[in-house]
Amino acid sequence: MAGLLLSPTEKVFIVHGVQEDYRSDGRSNIDYRPMELETDVVSHASGSARLRLANTDILVGVKTEIDVPSPENPDLGKIEFFVDCSANATPEFEGRGGEQLAIGISNLMQRAYHSSQAFNLKQLCIFESKQCWKLYVDILILECGGNLCDAVSLAVKAALFNTRIPFVKAALMDGGNVDLQLSDDPYDSKLLDVGSAPLQVTLCKIGDKCVVDPSAEEESCSVISVIVGITGNSSCFSEDNSSPDTGGKFTTIDMNGPGSVAPKTLKDAINQGRVAAKLLDKSLGEALLRERQESVKLKKYSYGFLK
Amino acid sequence: MPLDYRRFNGPEDSVSYKRFTKDYLKSYDELYKELLDDNGVRKDGRALSEARSMCMFFARTDMVSQAKGSAYVELRKTKVVCSVFDPREIPHQNEFSQLGQIFCEVKFAPFSCPRRRRPHAPDAEEKALSVALRKALEPTVCRHLFPNYQVDVFIYILEHDGACLSAAINAAGLALADAAVPMYDIVTACSVAIVGDRLFVDPTEAEEHVATISPETNSNHGVITMSMLSELKQISDFTLIGSMDTECVNTAMDILEKECETLVPQIQKILVTNVVKSFEQRQRLEEEANDREQALNIKMEEWRKLLNAG
Amino acid sequence: MTDIYKLIHPVKYFNDYVSRQVRPDGREFHEQRNIKLNVNSIKSADASAVVKCGNTTVVCGIKLELATPKAEEPDLGFVVTNIELPPLCSSKYRPGPPSDNAQVTSNLVSDIIINSKCIDLKDLCIASDKLAWVLYCDMVCMDNDGGLVDACLIALMASLKTLSLPTVTYDSETEEITVDTSVTTKLNVHGLPVATSFAMYTQEQRNIILADPSSYEEDMCGGLGANLIICYNKGFICGSQKFGGSNLTTECERKAHKIAKGRAQIVEEVINVCLKNYQNEPNQ
Repeated sequence: MAGLLLSPTEKVFIVHGVQEDYRSDGRSNIDYRPMELETDVVSHASGSARLRLANTDILVGVKTEIDVPSPENPDLGKIEFFVDCSANATPEFEGRGGEQLAIGISNLMQRAYHSSQAFNLKQLCIFESKQCWKLYVDILILECGGNLCDAVSLAVKAALFNTRIPFVKAALMDGGNVDLQLSDDPYDSKLLDVGSAPLQVTLCKIGDKCVVDPSAEEESCSVISVIVGITGNSSCFSEDNSSPDTGGKFTTIDMNGPGSVAPKTLKDAINQGRVAAKLLDKSLGEALLRERQESVKLKKYSYGFLK
Repeated sequence: MPLDYRRFNGPEDSVSYKRFTKDYLKSYDELYKELLDDNGVRKDGRALSEARSMCMFFARTDMVSQAKGSAYVELRKTKVVCSVFDPREIPHQNEFSQLGQIFCEVKFAPFSCPRRRRPHAPDAEEKALSVALRKALEPTVCRHLFPNYQVDVFIYILEHDGACLSAAINAAGLALADAAVPMYDIVTACSVAIVGDRLFVDPTEAEEHVATISPETNSNHGVITMSMLSELKQISDFTLIGSMDTECVNTAMDILEKECETLVPQIQKILVTNVVKSFEQRQRLEEEANDREQALNIKMEEWRKLLNAG
Repeated sequence: MTDIYKLIHPVKYFNDYVSRQVRPDGREFHEQRNIKLNVNSIKSADASAVVKCGNTTVVCGIKLELATPKAEEPDLGFVVTNIELPPLCSSKYRPGPPSDNAQVTSNLVSDIIINSKCIDLKDLCIASDKLAWVLYCDMVCMDNDGGLVDACLIALMASLKTLSLPTVTYDSETEEITVDTSVTTKLNVHGLPVATSFAMYTQEQRNIILADPSSYEEDMCGGLGANLIICYNKGFICGSQKFGGSNLTTECERKAHKIAKGRAQIVEEVINVCLKNYQNEPNQ
């Protein structure tokens, strides 16, 4: 946040507010700012989502492709993250400025989705050791207003929730090669099980306490933030509420910024992150399910003679 | 991928012969069973909570003659070389930077990994390790003392047998001290691999491999690396990969904190020995120089006498 | 005191030494540095060697892979040699793709290995036109204090000499490959090329050649690396390269060849002793 100058008194005001769990804009330490989420915005992608959180604007598109599984894991599919920082997002991204950040975010996402408890790659398997789906998750940062990691992980989860993978109608074995025939009806497709996909929460250390989703002013009071990736609760993302509560496990913990933290603060921070992630996950699930129900109502019915 | 014209390339379709050996694809359970014997002792004879010792014989400074400061750390099979160079002006930068910067690069030797051949070009893992190393070192170096300059820290991993990042951080700490870069505290790091309810302190490559594979059940797994400034009681970097619950993270953190602390006296000892050694060498050189000068003076006196006399 | 003198008047400092018939590190002109060699210290490689010539340290590791041979040469395997000069070995190198110096050195070593025919590529073929060994030999410089090619070649030859190939059976009908690592055969290495670097210096019409120069001496003689590299293989010349520097008189050349020939014998002995010790070790 270049160009933002705070006087020491203003900083003290913010630090004291955080200490009392009451921030300058009225939120508590684990409250997010309101955000807007829209899914299925790119018609050519298998799944997409757009998220706006304060000034941060992120567009995620998921592309599917058929690939050969790696020899070490013949029964797993693949997922790859690619982050593109648009030069318009913030003046610092001009030229190659955003590259470092983009690599950092895609690495973090890759690590967060590494464990099968976060995202089971088995559901992307088509034919063991022959063919599997590969998901390309393209993350486009349109505008950067802070708190990128959280916003990216939310948007990615929403886009994956929205992703449809065509069914395989027939497979022909021709010698050692497999010939696939995919269903060409866009509604004849399966959805991914992304309930346990991780959300990332950035905790900005201010004083001895940590806050989520810091504003620009708050960010300038902090030298270090802790990023925790926490698996989601599958029951929040399925329509039947019978499945048990799961999730709440750490898939990644990372630190960002030049400072350091005391062990006790780090422990508190990751606990706080877990609580925040749980709330966030629940509301994301509700929003996504609501949107899906609305789209089901609009689902086309086939009319005509050839049915 | 574009062809690299600056190196000799092998045929494109070459694969390691290990893929065709019998035990290439082992099941998770087999791999897990191999880590421990019946008495719960690890394959290399250590107990679960026992780290590989980084005693004097396996870590040293002053390794690379061309560098300002350098260090070598060996943890059984893991071998890491680090060198640190003089500060230089930050290249390609328009703005003045108030704080000095640390540039880190971690590179694996092409032959360092037992499972595959490493590519020459830097891959994602190397880049991630470089970033983690920089983050671990930044809080410990007094960066305000060299504004607008950067210190280069290069790490080369000759052999990878687990706990690479922690070995790299320890080596970098030693090398920075050897290069006389001002620091707030000694930085130490340690790793732990988690497989189910077992915690492997200072894991080997095989243990890390099992810990990063996701098990079928919903049990904990993963690798944590933590670097600490022990005197200041501060964590400078914390990296976690895998999936585990809060309880597991907390126990691992307590273990790592203790391990990082036990490393401090060992590092101090290495540094002190290094200082004493260089001091003794300087003293010896000075003595020799003095002796030579005295001999010269005596000769001069003799000649002067001869001249005066005749 | 001497450090400052060296910094302010580098040429004069060097001249002062040379005019007193001695080199800055106390060696005589034809004297080489100590060689230390250790084989198979890196277990993740299929064969490896670490060599130290004075301060110069080179680690060589060989990784074995399998590939189909080239269509135009169906009976030949591959030997791929690369030299890596990572930025940590000297402040002259920057991170990124290999520098010109690294490429030239790589080429030189590869030429020597090919020209000396120390490995018969036919030995590396398993099934004609189907399967052959690829030897990826990577030499990494850990500390570049001059005489790089010498050290690289010693490390490479020592590791090639310890290399054994696992048994591979190739079923031509099912195209199935099985590898048995318990039975291995040693790779045949013919000859032993040894390179010796020289730096050439001219002082008051006097030509001086410095054997096995340090990095400081190489710099003083105006070259990126050594000026003259002579390679001997079992008493025969198998290569001689001159890079810049002053003119070389016949007399000097003769002297250089004599030194190089002598050094080749010493190095051969070093490698043989080292290999013998390694083979006699009970727990390899």
